[in-house]
Amino acid sequence: MAGIDFEGTDVPVQQGDTIAAALYRSGTRIFSRSFKYHRPRGLYCVSGDCPNCLVTVDGEVNVRACECAARAGQKVTRQNAWPSADRDALAVIDKLHWALPVGFYYKAGIKPKFAWPMVEPMIRKMAGLGFVDHHDAPRHLERVNWHPDVLVVGAGVAGLEAALAAAGAGSTVMLIDETTPGARVASGPTRAAIDRLTAAVAAVPAITTSWNTPATGLFEGPLLIAVSGDETFHIHPQAIVLACGGREIHRVFTDNDLPGVMLARGAARLAGVHGVRPGARAVVWAEQPEALEHIAALTAAGVEVVAVVAAEGLDTSAVTCEVIRGEVTAAKGRKRVSAIVAAGRTIACDLLAVGSEIQPNEHLVRLAYDLPVVVAGDAAGHGLTLDDAMASGRAAGERAAAGPELYAVSPATPRTCGANGYVCLCEDVSVKDLEVAIDEGFESAELLKRYTTVTMGPCQGRVCADQLRAVAARKNPDLHRVANATTLRPPVRPITLEQAIAGAPHHMERHTALTAKHLSIGGTMMWAGPWKRVEAYGDVQAEYRAVRERVGLIDVGTLGKFLVAGPDATEFLERIYPMRVADLEAGRLRYGLLLEEGGVIIDDGTVCALGDGRYYLTVTTTGAERLESWMGDWAEAWGHDVYVVNQTASLGALNVAGPQARALLQKLSDDPLDRESFPYIRHRQITVAGVECLAMRLGFVGELAYELHFPASQSAKLWDAIIAAGAEWDIRPFGLMAQRLLRLEKGHIIIAQDTDFETTPWKVGMQWAVKLDKDDFVGKAALERHLKRDDRELLVPWTMGAGTACPPEGATVTMNGNLAGRVTSAWHSPTLGHPIGLAWVKRAYAAAGSSITVGGSPATVFSGHAFYDPEGEKLRA
Amino acid sequence: MSHFYIRCPNCGPRACSEFSYNGEVRPLADPAASEAAEIDRLWLRRNANGLQRERWFHAAGCRRFVTITRDTRTNIIVAQPGEPAGDVATHA
Ligand SMILES: [Zn+2]
Repeated sequence: MAGIDFEGTDVPVQQGDTIAAALYRSGTRIFSRSFKYHRPRGLYCVSGDCPNCLVTVDGEVNVRACECAARAGQKVTRQNAWPSADRDALAVIDKLHWALPVGFYYKAGIKPKFAWPMVEPMIRKMAGLGFVDHHDAPRHLERVNWHPDVLVVGAGVAGLEAALAAAGAGSTVMLIDETTPGARVASGPTRAAIDRLTAAVAAVPAITTSWNTPATGLFEGPLLIAVSGDETFHIHPQAIVLACGGREIHRVFTDNDLPGVMLARGAARLAGVHGVRPGARAVVWAEQPEALEHIAALTAAGVEVVAVVAAEGLDTSAVTCEVIRGEVTAAKGRKRVSAIVAAGRTIACDLLAVGSEIQPNEHLVRLAYDLPVVVAGDAAGHGLTLDDAMASGRAAGERAAAGPELYAVSPATPRTCGANGYVCLCEDVSVKDLEVAIDEGFESAELLKRYTTVTMGPCQGRVCADQLRAVAARKNPDLHRVANATTLRPPVRPITLEQAIAGAPHHMERHTALTAKHLSIGGTMMWAGPWKRVEAYGDVQAEYRAVRERVGLIDVGTLGKFLVAGPDATEFLERIYPMRVADLEAGRLRYGLLLEEGGVIIDDGTVCALGDGRYYLTVTTTGAERLESWMGDWAEAWGHDVYVVNQTASLGALNVAGPQARALLQKLSDDPLDRESFPYIRHRQITVAGVECLAMRLGFVGELAYELHFPASQSAKLWDAIIAAGAEWDIRPFGLMAQRLLRLEKGHIIIAQDTDFETTPWKVGMQWAVKLDKDDFVGKAALERHLKRDDRELLVPWTMGAGTACPPEGATVTMNGNLAGRVTSAWHSPTLGHPIGLAWVKRAYAAAGSSITVGGSPATVFSGHAFYDPEGEKLRA
Repeated sequence: MSHFYIRCPNCGPRACSEFSYNGEVRPLADPAASEAAEIDRLWLRRNANGLQRERWFHAAGCRRFVTITRDTRTNIIVAQPGEPAGDVATHA
């Protein structure tokens, strides 16, 4: 199509058109159907405030047609109507007000009870505006931070002057506006001033401008958030000038929502900016002088202004048509205005331009409490002349540059409201609805808001908030608080969810330097905290046998790795760990639990003493990030002079395990690896295949094993060398599954799989890892208290007879049909030939040798710790 | 959405979004305290409506901890890292 595709019709577009202007020029008058009663609604504010022109544009719902630039090929459809907004079948609801009273969702369909399940889906189907295509992939929008000295919001005359003044005083300035300067202002002295000032601003390098950038919220800091196309701005200025202007106040009278009733600035914008004739015969309702200025723009566009309804005392000497003193009390017409009633007279017209009093745009201002904010122009007070507004802007800019006082907000008193008509255009709340709700006891504006949903629609109170307060004040003139302004919260302008989460953290997926290698040899990956680790290389049993019988290799580069150093390092670790650290000689290492203050196990790993008060720590894969900050927190609390350096990413780690591990590594290293030179639970600095490694002799999988830590960049080189050297023993890489089976045969626990948030060392039989005779350590006091109590449940190893099917992890433990515990780990042990596992079991049944039922099968509580090689001869080999 | 600056002793004034909040500072264990008092210390938080001594971790910076005093009603920091906390109660 050459123009807009508007529900299948080709609508021509002219230069500078908004969607609203193009549609209106082509004859569209009904832009939407109202939320509840499906009343026809037309253009009203033409300034982005009211909900009347919300349309779906290219699949994006609730786009303001009066703000969105028109583009050839755009697909535009109206919302909340079936089959069309012009002939909406649901408009019948407008005749059924009695069935949908105010607060109807608390009342209708609830009695009789059986009715609600039928009514609820109907309400759900009719609720909401627009249809979101759930197949649309969300875009990831980025966040951009700005740090100007002074931020100016609003590029009217006051905002432009403020930006120039602040820049003149030496500040860097950012100036934003929700449209472009002058976009809503027809030619005249104001537009001329805006054009002149905009050119002046463009010539000042210290001023950064961003147009079409509506502000959505103001927060302490101060932080102002604005949206600009595909970016969300976080602006962090020292001071803010709010020059966001004013708007004509919403006037309420009978059928005030009919298409053809328009705010005067909106009608003038259509006529003077877009060259669209807003009506043939117009009545202008003037409550302030600016409204009379719009008559010229309307006349120039070909509108016949037949009468002016003027407030008492307004100077109308320049008006050439008939002047009626008083107020408009009703509009007449079915789908659009055909006449209005004022001072008892009925005047035929198709346009009523409501030039009501100017109300400050107070949304951001009301969020500015206790922030360094200066308010300027119409946002500060209504009825400013052009010269006053410019002077106000200059003064504000100078004050902001000097660092303003914290701003305190004094809310305005509400204006008056008519006896009939719609207060809220978003949610179809009429004066009568509010009066009924007040009679039901919801008397304050804040309660009325919650009960009737007035101010809660897309306009966020721009249209209705003042008139809501006026109705509340009129019904209860003696109760001052009923008219208090309702609480205002960001976003002050509707934004999309994409905009709301702009810059949200990307999902982290960490890989070791060997991931590509793992994948190339058939490794399947699984999550382990933020890491992807190898689950298996296709055959868990074969991987298991390689470790038990020959030699295997596992990538343990994901382990948390820390260097701890500094004058207080030894004392620090003595207090961090429940076992002894100070007596560790250089070259020795020790297994360590980590406890929180309640004595609960949070992690485990090893401590290597490097000498000179330096230590190398490993913790679990999932614990590294958390423990880094946890240790730093304690160092800060104790005032220790200690450095905790997280080397998790910079170091790689491989574990070579199995009876042939020594023979294999000796092929690659000249350093002595024999039992005497490098015994069990020692560490050494050795060179393997030319790579400097910190090697530890550990026993997690229960065989002779060397855990090598080295610069991550050497990972592939070392891996390849070990695999090649191990070929003569048919070495196999093994994954997490095989490792879990191997360690279970040794009776070792895995933190967070076998333990929970109540697990103390006592409950898992690890008293040996805690030295209560130490001075102090994290969790000591709690553990001493625990000693006085009997734990209700204990973690125990269990075995089953050969030929019994292995129960799944998570299976229940029962005794005489009653629940007695749960399984945390279970595998069929290939070496022992029967199922083994760990389970939490009630204390009464936890004694060694007790018969229990695990997953429905008979089992026995195991009497030792390790199922395999209980004396640990193999790992000491 | 809250926003304020924390003066990191290593990195200078940085946006609070670079830090992760580690909660209010609690007193260290007192060996002489009763068991009930110790359990309160471990599990109950003041959740101050006013001045609070608290610790932040400069996660997107130097990865060290800083201790500040903040007014939880206004997010105004009354004592930056290294400054004395004054008479702010750390625990009720
Ligand atoms: Zn820092």
